Amino acid sequence: MLTPLHWNTLRALMDRLIPADDFPGAWEAGVGDFLERQLESDLRSQAEPLRQGLEALEAEAQAWGGASFAALEASAQDALLGRVEAGQVRASWPVDPAGFFRAMTEQVSLGYYGDPTNGANRGRMAWRMIGFGPRA
Amino acid sequence: MTAYDAIIIGAGAGGGIAAGVLAEAGKRVLLLERGPQLAAGADPRDHLRNQRFARFGLNAGPALEGNPRVVVDAQGQVFVARPNDVTYHNNAAVVGGGTRVYGAQAWRFLPQDFRMASLYGAPAGSSLADWPIQYSELEPYYERAEWEIGVAGDGAASARHWPRRTGFPLPPLPVNAQGRTLRAGAAKLGWETLPIPALINTEPYLGRRACIQCQECVGFTCPVEAKNGTHNTLIPRALATGRCALLTEAMVINIDTDGAGHVSGVSYIDREGQRHSAGAEVVICAGGAIETARLLLNSASAQHPRGLGNQHDQVGRHLQGHYYPAAIGLMSEPVYDGIGPGISTATIRFNHNNDGFIGGGMLADEFITLPVIFWTHQLPPDLPRWGMANKRFMRENYTRVMRVTGPVQEIPNPEARVTVDAAVRDRWGMPVARLSGSAHLETVRTAAFMFERAREWLTASGAVRVWGQAPGSYLSAGQHQAGTCRMGDDPRRSVVDRWGRVHGHDNLFVTDGSVHVTNGGFNPVLTIMALAFRAAEHITQTW
Repeated sequence: MLTPLHWNTLRALMDRLIPADDFPGAWEAGVGDFLERQLESDLRSQAEPLRQGLEALEAEAQAWGGASFAALEASAQDALLGRVEAGQVRASWPVDPAGFFRAMTEQVSLGYYGDPTNGANRGRMAWRMIGFGPRA
Repeated sequence: MTAYDAIIIGAGAGGGIAAGVLAEAGKRVLLLERGPQLAAGADPRDHLRNQRFARFGLNAGPALEGNPRVVVDAQGQVFVARPNDVTYHNNAAVVGGGTRVYGAQAWRFLPQDFRMASLYGAPAGSSLADWPIQYSELEPYYERAEWEIGVAGDGAASARHWPRRTGFPLPPLPVNAQGRTLRAGAAKLGWETLPIPALINTEPYLGRRACIQCQECVGFTCPVEAKNGTHNTLIPRALATGRCALLTEAMVINIDTDGAGHVSGVSYIDREGQRHSAGAEVVICAGGAIETARLLLNSASAQHPRGLGNQHDQVGRHLQGHYYPAAIGLMSEPVYDGIGPGISTATIRFNHNNDGFIGGGMLADEFITLPVIFWTHQLPPDLPRWGMANKRFMRENYTRVMRVTGPVQEIPNPEARVTVDAAVRDRWGMPVARLSGSAHLETVRTAAFMFERAREWLTASGAVRVWGQAPGSYLSAGQHQAGTCRMGDDPRRSVVDRWGRVHGHDNLFVTDGSVHVTNGGFNPVLTIMALAFRAAEHITQTW
């Protein structure tokens, strides 16, 4: 199970993967609810690697910025994530950092742009944002 | 043991039609389907679990657990695939089969498609061959499929390329913004286009409603039953005779033969796990090119040690589908107007007569694309996959991007094949299908040529940027799977005769894509339907 600390990291991470502008970022869109549901079903086998990746991301934030990932400035978070995406890490990662990042990017985006029944994309806001749906 | 006149295995395009024709001709039919009957309107329209985007599951089966296949990839690596893996080459497992959730493009094969070896010669390493029948012999049955299942199209445009006696029963699909843009681009290039024929009710037809032009068509069931398949046409007709029993969630595990090697019926397992035997005078296989081949191979007996119809090692070979080269273009203006299903416009200019290539393929516009598919498969390769840049591109360009793609006629080869793997069993304990081999290099070469034509069309239509890449080399099958029980006059080089009867058997038939010698440069379902009408009619006339 993910602890509140894991969720804190995850929330900050997903809001950099899909940040807020005048449309919601990933967390506000409900991607946390989507992931929680997925971790109890399709992604049950991925819960442990996810936990390990989030802890490694925390260690990475401490190694580069001397702070929790969630406490870093957005620009510092983005720079850190760019390095994780490229596999350039300082901390010890029990999972492949680039693979972890790729998987998180995919899961968060599938939740965000998927149908609301899956838990995110509340009120079809992602579809309204991009223009998917019946003709206006 | 109940005796039937005919047992049909698989309630998809081919099996459903055979059931209707035989039952209406007075035969007592048992129609066995491994999947369930989906209730109308029950599809949850789950964007992450459907036949088009199966990332976490399927809306029309089969279940992810208990239905594995073994796959041997191009590097010789062997692995077990689940139904939602691309390498599994799934087709829907429900009443109606693929017709329940398909995009419903309703193309006839061209007259040339039946004579590929004569027209082009068979390249080395291929098993390219002519069909034993010609277009003219199939034409009346194409017409029957168009009218009895229901096809929308432009008869005059079609008649410029296909000899045909009648028009279509329904007017063509609406032309949306992308279709108008591509028609203008084609006009600049001097390319003729034509409306895409589709098994969709553009007007009320056969007692069902017209299409509501929604945005979730391909991959999903139709909420108003305006998408025409066998589940809402020939299967209900079969049941209405009172002579057809439809048994769902019933998996056929063996085609039974008697001591003389004569086909006598089938063994199947019902939804409670009970095994049954049913006898019949005629058995018809229509489980799709992979499952039909698997069943024939799994039905080996003392008289048929290599499997039924497999005395010359032909069952399961020549597996093919369609390569789909796709180019994606960013337009300066929106080309999305929300009018579904989205497809409207195609060109068949490149199906033949391409200097230096064997055959070719049709190119068409695309169904309205689910946002998750757009994000997963259609973003420019140099766009960041995350962050504000990614979100901004999605936001600004979803409505300004369109995709041109189409099926390339494949050059069959005997090494692309289905065998069975006794080391891996399904939930019923039966050896699963093992898929191996790869598309012929001529297929890959033609796909690269067609990719360039797709680029050219988008550019002429005003694309400010075009991306995508020509496909590499891999095994092809998928929803368009075909070829594993090919039709022919020579039993040494084919599995069924010109009527779909398995060589060496007087009462065993195949009526699915397995019998296609080649698979055309078109979606194959109307050809499967036409062949099933023809085979079933032949059975009733000779029995």
